[in-house]
Amino acid sequence: MSDNPSKNTAQDWPYLEIHQSRTHEPTPYEYKLAATLEDVFTKDGHALEDVVRGLNARKVHAPDGAAWTEESFAAEMHRLGA
Amino acid sequence: MNAVNLTAEHIFATGLRDQWHPVVPSSFVAPGAMRKVTVLGEQWLLFRRSDGTLSMLADRCPHRGAPLSLGKHLGDRVACWYHGVEVESDGTVASVPGLPGCNLEGKKLVRSLPVREVAGAVLAYFGTEQQPQPSELTLPDPLVDPDVDAFLCYAEWDVPWRYAVENLLDPMHGAFLHHDSHTMFDGDTTAKFRIRETDRGYFFEKTDQRGVNFDWVELCRTGVDWVDLSIPYPPSAGPGGAFGIVGMVRPVDEERCAVFFWRYRKVQGWQRDTWRFLYKTLIEERHWDVLEQDRVMLEAMPSDADQQENLYQHDLGVVRLRRMYKSAAEEQAGA
Ligand code: FES
Ligand SMILES: [Fe+2]
Repeated sequence: MSDNPSKNTAQDWPYLEIHQSRTHEPTPYEYKLAATLEDVFTKDGHALEDVVRGLNARKVHAPDGAAWTEESFAAEMHRLGA
Repeated sequence: MNAVNLTAEHIFATGLRDQWHPVVPSSFVAPGAMRKVTVLGEQWLLFRRSDGTLSMLADRCPHRGAPLSLGKHLGDRVACWYHGVEVESDGTVASVPGLPGCNLEGKKLVRSLPVREVAGAVLAYFGTEQQPQPSELTLPDPLVDPDVDAFLCYAEWDVPWRYAVENLLDPMHGAFLHHDSHTMFDGDTTAKFRIRETDRGYFFEKTDQRGVNFDWVELCRTGVDWVDLSIPYPPSAGPGGAFGIVGMVRPVDEERCAVFFWRYRKVQGWQRDTWRFLYKTLIEERHWDVLEQDRVMLEAMPSDADQQENLYQHDLGVVRLRRMYKSAAEEQAGA
């Protein structure tokens, strides 16, 4: 056999990967949204209406520039967090 | 190798037999791929057919002992690189190309282990010749609860497996080693602990504080050994309250282990989606930093650390654990 198939089983010890849940490096928009959410959760509360109000008050909107509604926020979280 | 030949010291050093152990994340073995792995000081080959069926074979060709992991994946079998002997995914020799009709053909000459895939990880049953049939496996309840959402974090450490488990039965280190972390900044640095026995293991818990820091841990032996614990999230993490950890440790050999931590939270709907978004974007890295503190400390411990100790009340959980594993190892060696 010419092609050594052991590439298949390459073992790099140790496996130490910080990010194991991501499918991509977050975009600047995603980083900003996440950081703002943490601020909102800390200062404004944990209910859906608090979150939507808090994001809109901080003028952090969806990529299309529209203000958040409860529906659009839940849909965006589903897209980003599913 | 079977338990008849194993000493209690060897079992204690490389991991208990006759039970399930986690092996690797499922994603480490893609359909049509194979992967070599060391578990309990032995060499194994994970082999996945293209339809997804997974099997775990001793990494040892039945002909002359070459590692099958150097061989070639043929879809439903592996061909040894040395002389081409083909082994099916259940360990049966399918063909001996150099000597067709050879009496090795059709014989099940390679050991294979029962495997299951659970919450993104492969579990395998490491039986002995006395007990090759898998014992009953009850999965950690947070990993089968549909209302609970979990992310698996897997890491490989140059640490004996026992030290990694002992670290989990030692909640007090949280208030010191992880003092500057995002979750364990709070809570008293003095505490009294007690052991509370359960029908599947025991709790090691603070008597005077709950829900503040790393205040309790439950050791569970349900066919696989795991711990459950809970740590409060700061308000920034949003609704859903504390996050939990299901932890398992895979012995690699006497010096090394692999750790499995499922970070879980009881959240549904938009709360679940938001937690997952924050986890991927910001929280996972913070958890990683905490885990690195454990790794750095444990890897720096001398290998004879447990020979020269002066224990105090906070170490009761560790003492109980060692006694349990020691006597289990003696039992398995003497069986
Ligand atoms: S050692 Fe594997 S075929 Fe000979
Ligand atoms: Fe820790």
